[in-house]
Amino acid sequence: MAEEKVSRRDFLLYAMGGWAAVGLGGVLYAMYKTWEPLPEVKAAGIVRFDLSQVKPGELKVVQWRGKPVFVLRRTPDMGKCENRSIANEYTVVVGICTHLGCIPNWETDKKIFKCPCHGGEFDACGVNIFGPPPRPLEIPPFKLEGTTIVLGETGPEYEKMMKG
Amino acid sequence: MEKKGGLMEWLDKRLAIETLWKVMMAEYYLPKNINFLWSFGVLTMLVFVILVVSGIILLMYYKPDAKMAFDSVNKTIMMDVAFGWVFRHVHAVGASVMFLVLFIHIGRGIYYGSYKAPREVVWITGFILFVLMSATAFTGYLLPWGQMSYWAAQTITTLFAKIPFIGPDLVIWIRGNYIVEDATLTRFFALHVTFLPALILVFTAIHLYAVRIVGSNNEDGIPMTKEEKKKNGIPFWPVFMAKEYFVMSVFLLFFFYLVFFNYKFAMDPINFQPANYLQTPPHIYPEWYFLAFYEVLRGFFFSETLGLIGFVLSMFLPLFLPWLDTSPYPYVSGKHRPLFKIMWWIFVADFIALTILGKLPPTGLFAWLGFVASIVYFLFFASLPIISYIEKKKVASGGGQ
Amino acid sequence: MKELKILLVLIVIVGVTYWGIEPLAHSIMHKHIEEAIHKYHLPDYEFSDLGSTPPLDGDAAKGKEAFQMFCASCHGLKADGIPAPMDPKTAAASFGVVPPDLSNVTSFTSKKFLFHFIKDPAKASEFKKIAMPAMGLQDEQIVDIIAYLDSKAKKVHGAELFKEACGRCHSAKYQKIYAETPPDALKKYLGKVPPDLSIIMKAKGEHYLVAFINKPQALLPGTSMPRVGLNKEATEDLMHYLDRIADPHKEQRVKVGLIVLAYMLVMVGLTYAWKKKIWKNIH
Repeated sequence: MAEEKVSRRDFLLYAMGGWAAVGLGGVLYAMYKTWEPLPEVKAAGIVRFDLSQVKPGELKVVQWRGKPVFVLRRTPDMGKCENRSIANEYTVVVGICTHLGCIPNWETDKKIFKCPCHGGEFDACGVNIFGPPPRPLEIPPFKLEGTTIVLGETGPEYEKMMKG
Repeated sequence: MEKKGGLMEWLDKRLAIETLWKVMMAEYYLPKNINFLWSFGVLTMLVFVILVVSGIILLMYYKPDAKMAFDSVNKTIMMDVAFGWVFRHVHAVGASVMFLVLFIHIGRGIYYGSYKAPREVVWITGFILFVLMSATAFTGYLLPWGQMSYWAAQTITTLFAKIPFIGPDLVIWIRGNYIVEDATLTRFFALHVTFLPALILVFTAIHLYAVRIVGSNNEDGIPMTKEEKKKNGIPFWPVFMAKEYFVMSVFLLFFFYLVFFNYKFAMDPINFQPANYLQTPPHIYPEWYFLAFYEVLRGFFFSETLGLIGFVLSMFLPLFLPWLDTSPYPYVSGKHRPLFKIMWWIFVADFIALTILGKLPPTGLFAWLGFVASIVYFLFFASLPIISYIEKKKVASGGGQ
Repeated sequence: MKELKILLVLIVIVGVTYWGIEPLAHSIMHKHIEEAIHKYHLPDYEFSDLGSTPPLDGDAAKGKEAFQMFCASCHGLKADGIPAPMDPKTAAASFGVVPPDLSNVTSFTSKKFLFHFIKDPAKASEFKKIAMPAMGLQDEQIVDIIAYLDSKAKKVHGAELFKEACGRCHSAKYQKIYAETPPDALKKYLGKVPPDLSIIMKAKGEHYLVAFINKPQALLPGTSMPRVGLNKEATEDLMHYLDRIADPHKEQRVKVGLIVLAYMLVMVGLTYAWKKKIWKNIH
């Protein structure tokens, strides 16, 4: 049987093994795809919200993908929010503290978001101004359709904001 | 395995993997006079792996609840989950094809006398595996909670009611309700995904171990020692497996053709209607692999008791083959047993006839045909001791080939 | 050679069994269906059992008057700004089923059938308990009403067609379409809640459904499904829709299937070559 021993560099063996690996890859890809969120979950990941229903100085909370999204219509005294302002006067941010994931509260008198966990503070633009938070509050992907904001889709305004 | 790497040596010292490898694969020798039918054992393992893998994917989305089961299969898995339909098709067709492979594997064993001494344990564990596989298929078939699922479970569990004394209570216990209901579904689910596959694994291990001890039979039923096989035979690895890859590929080609283009035989249209315990569909029948046994049950159409006894016997008689048929070499392989050969082909034809009749409505001519076919089924087993007796006499008188 | 012979025997055995349990068994089990289809020449879009029909060349204007007098107390006609007289719940409670809005009815119902239906609903629908009574109208009035309806009707397709033609009693919950009539009312009216049609195409198949919709009593005597008189075009459109919703991955299945089979063919070639190589010196 000695002459029957398979040469390790046998082309045919490599071809067969390689081809089997391709098949295995295909199976793994299909399995990978089965774990993706289902269509209805994905559809629920897109939320429409009419910005004009928020009065100046008011904060509304929209639920998006299980997270709170703060929609704040700023008054002029709250600042211009360079590159973080949507439709000139709105702050739209994911209401999750960038420190450890608690939900900050809007303090109307001080006009800041204050996190109850470790005292982190964000200004009306959602920028971190005090405490441990390392980054400003995140801006969710959005698209503007007139006065309606579509959370979960990316529009040119969002792309521009991300580039700047 | 020839070159020892660091890790291999480390493992070998602790687990003796080299010895294991030799015993199971590299120095397990098979005779040369075997044909591709000997490849079907490995095919059952392949199909089992396919079933386990596709089953695990289905488990991620299936809901074992009478209110949700149907939609979780037909909507979530079949429509919403990306490629979910592939795994459902593979699982359903795989279950069906498993029995095709098993029947061929068992048929090969019977024809070539592989159940005879010293391979009784191989035969018995194989038989247990068949019963376990049937139980797994039966419990699994309820899970989509369609009309056919439901009524198959309803009728088969009703059979237990015919057991004297304890029957009626037993049925209620098995179902956990007075009819097949949510409790039945959930316990069948539990058996299907945990207990039964685990038992299958255990008995597969014993089956494979036993066959390594006594070795494979061959086309001519010639008893061979390990040394003879080593000298004249082929090692399981890599030589036999080289052929096995080819058989596997051809098999998978056929299998995937069924999965994508011809799956209706494994996914009955009636089962796309949700279970309704107030309405039995006009035709109910088991999956094709149970039809022959089911037809024996119906075959004695004039007596329910006889039908039940026949049904149980038809499934458990094969277990006793090694003791029904005891003629020694050269009367091992059907190839060299003219009398056995005749009975064998009658048996095969009869099994096909039973399978087909099992799906037809049991009326008029079909009922009588079913009765005759059921009798012929038992004739095969009854003839074996007689054939053995004749053949033994021939051996004693110095006859043979 | 010997192995090929064995393979051949196997193929014959498997082939005969398959033939027996699939085509043969189904032809025997569905014999009465084929017989009914043959007997009544289904689908019969002429509805020839209903007898002759006068020429359908009525006057739409007169038809409108007749409609308002005889039909509008139960039926709406949104296409001409006539709203349904009751909300679905009240209507279902008083009639058993929500009466259809008739805006597009002539676009998917055979006009010949419609004529006979208006004349005698129970007879044309072959459903004795049908909620609509025979109105005792003159033939000319019926013809005028049909002309009026036809002047407003728009073609509807797919889901819209399903909702208008089937959706008063049937749901297709996988499409989030729910029967207009509440289930309780339907159960009272029909004896049971009609089946959900989301995957009915898989359960019944086009051949059966086309014939069944055309003449339910012929295929399932005693069924509480009335004959609704769909015309050929609408039936085909509906079949296409039901097939699409029952089997949304058909195209993907064929595509993936062909790729997998091609892959396996190559694998067969490779493994065959490998087997040859290893076994070269064995025999």
